[in-house]
Amino acid sequence: MTTVPGQRTAVTVLLVPFALLCLGVFVVPAGYAIYLSFFSTSHSGLGFGTARTVFVGLRNFAVVLTDPSFLRSIGVTLVYIMVFIPLLVAGSLLMALLLDSGLARGRRFAQTVLFLPHAIPGIIAAIIWLYLYTPGISPVLAGLAAADVRIDLLGETLLIPSLVNIALWGGLGYNTVIFYAALQAVPREVMEAAAVDGAGAVRTALRVKVPMVRASVVTVAMFTLVGSLQLFTEPMLLAQATPLVGARFTPNMYIFDAAFNRSNYGLASAASVLLLVLCCLLSYAVARFSSRGARS
Amino acid sequence: MPHRSRVLAGAVAAAALTLSACSGAAPPPSAGGPTVITYWSSLRGTQPVVDAFNATHTDIQVDLEVTPTGTGGTNAKLTNATRAGNAPDVATLEYNALPAFALDGAVLDVTDRIDDRFRAALLPQAWDQTTFDGRVYGVPLDIEPMVLFYRRDLFEQHGIAVPTTWAEFEQAAREIKAAAPDVRLGTFFTNSAPHLAGFADQAGARWFSTDGGRWNLDFTGPASTRVAQFWQRLVDDDLLQVAPGSSQQWNAAIANGTVATYIDGAWAAAALMRSAPGGAGTWAAAPLPQWDPAHPRVGVKGGSVFAVTAGSDHPAEAMEFLRWMVTDPEAFRARLSSGASSMYPAAPALVGVADEGFDRSYFGGQDVYALFREQAAIVPEGWVWGPRMTATNQIVQEGLARIRYGGTVLEALERAQEESLPDMRALGLAVVAR
Repeated sequence: MTTVPGQRTAVTVLLVPFALLCLGVFVVPAGYAIYLSFFSTSHSGLGFGTARTVFVGLRNFAVVLTDPSFLRSIGVTLVYIMVFIPLLVAGSLLMALLLDSGLARGRRFAQTVLFLPHAIPGIIAAIIWLYLYTPGISPVLAGLAAADVRIDLLGETLLIPSLVNIALWGGLGYNTVIFYAALQAVPREVMEAAAVDGAGAVRTALRVKVPMVRASVVTVAMFTLVGSLQLFTEPMLLAQATPLVGARFTPNMYIFDAAFNRSNYGLASAASVLLLVLCCLLSYAVARFSSRGARS
Repeated sequence: MPHRSRVLAGAVAAAALTLSACSGAAPPPSAGGPTVITYWSSLRGTQPVVDAFNATHTDIQVDLEVTPTGTGGTNAKLTNATRAGNAPDVATLEYNALPAFALDGAVLDVTDRIDDRFRAALLPQAWDQTTFDGRVYGVPLDIEPMVLFYRRDLFEQHGIAVPTTWAEFEQAAREIKAAAPDVRLGTFFTNSAPHLAGFADQAGARWFSTDGGRWNLDFTGPASTRVAQFWQRLVDDDLLQVAPGSSQQWNAAIANGTVATYIDGAWAAAALMRSAPGGAGTWAAAPLPQWDPAHPRVGVKGGSVFAVTAGSDHPAEAMEFLRWMVTDPEAFRARLSSGASSMYPAAPALVGVADEGFDRSYFGGQDVYALFREQAAIVPEGWVWGPRMTATNQIVQEGLARIRYGGTVLEALERAQEESLPDMRALGLAVVAR
């Protein structure tokens, strides 16, 4: 391999900050969590006066995997993902196609407005929505109540949709921008060929444009999936307003609860490691599934 | 929404959650002078107690830090400080949080620091609640038998007798609703597992027991089931207000008379005066209704214990301070000086001091302390809080909150047992679920 003089230095300079950060905030904590997951403050019998930290092998993992509250948190998250990801991908793709179709007026303005929610930190967004969702303080609910429409946005049926709504609001614009950028990269001549073959705008969009931005769709789906598995901020805040969001509502909340409420660090670590593995597996599955689809 | 950095940050967060953040509490210097004891408490009116101690003691001085209340308050703070090695010498805890701290080795086994005189000064039922596996881990301040506070005027107005049994309580609930459709006899607290625990204890249930050197869990035995079904029926028949305790809804109902009773520990007499100052003269206190009047017994709700932390450098001085706090009349007088309190002291000798400082006018001159004394005497021994009671209570409460969405009290108990087990197994405890 030939190197231009100075290239080695440049590579080093550019990579070192990343490597250090990755090591410090990812590799080392992840390694420590894996280490902790094999240990526990262990007791015998009733446990009083016998506390000591010992190697317990896979005991923490066995407990997490048989804990109904952990399994339920995974279930809740999967339901959330199944609602959220299709809506997010389809919604932002539609927005991007509209922007790209030339039909939209004030494109820049529309893009900015769509993107704006993304600039708001998740926790602030959740607080804003919590305000809008909470009966008694929400002007929206008050308005609806005045028109004799009563809905419990934090009730059993609408809880997940309400959570999805917060995430959609924050994520739609951002992903629209990604899809729009990808659509801009579709070669002009392909569009012209489609037009020559007599394809209309809708047909061109569905049969030509969408397949050509497939890679972006997969990327967005994968990132959203990993992000959704770590759902934490929004439900944590909604827990203030509805008892239906318990302390172990999502896997990340389960981990938080295990560590800081139940002082069970081994259990929290084991659940963290399992979540990490699940994220890796699902991401791999999405990437693998879609690349196979692309080849066929 | 998730761009790269956020995804990475999220992934890291999952792994890094195990790193705890700790707040420091450096003990003040005590070179040469008196021994300084650091003390964390979230209990209302503690400062005058500490001031009184410091004023009368020269060799020991106490440095109080008022900590936040609630499960995220002192408990979490103490857990973190214990891990970080900067816990105070003494902390105030709720009875139900003590087993967890004892189990984790955060509080000191003080069995050998309690002489016979000290032991005899406090009620055996109170010591029972701080004794695990034969060892004492805390010094009880008060014991709080459950009491039925009721609106004497409403009962008289509708010609309803004060219930002495739970069957009569149910009957009264039906009568009052029939007489005044807007009024309910009482409130079912959707956020209070300790209430349900007190009721279950009264009925003879043992959610946790330690027979045979192992933890036995039994949340749905006959006694618990009986209690759960009783409250379920009252809720289903719309005979109670269903609301979280201390909520706006509940406060409003207590203040405007749409709820006619309030059940809580003895300490709540003073809390009631604060919640509904306008109710002065209309409230009275009665014994909690019984299942079997021939064998009366009553559960507790609330109460505090003091613990010396395992890492304390001055356990002897700390115990001297604790002993003073729970047995000295001056300590109790100081505790009551900051305003109304109606706690029932674990030391029977102090009941007179407590009574003396209590303003009876709110209860129309009724001698409520005589009632408390009677009720404290029938608090049974043997109730044990679980090793992760904060979490267990939380699961019960999540279940109770679901009552509005078709959940049941019994389901809440079932789930609490089921979801308390994994933690205990992870800790390697010997556990048996019935």
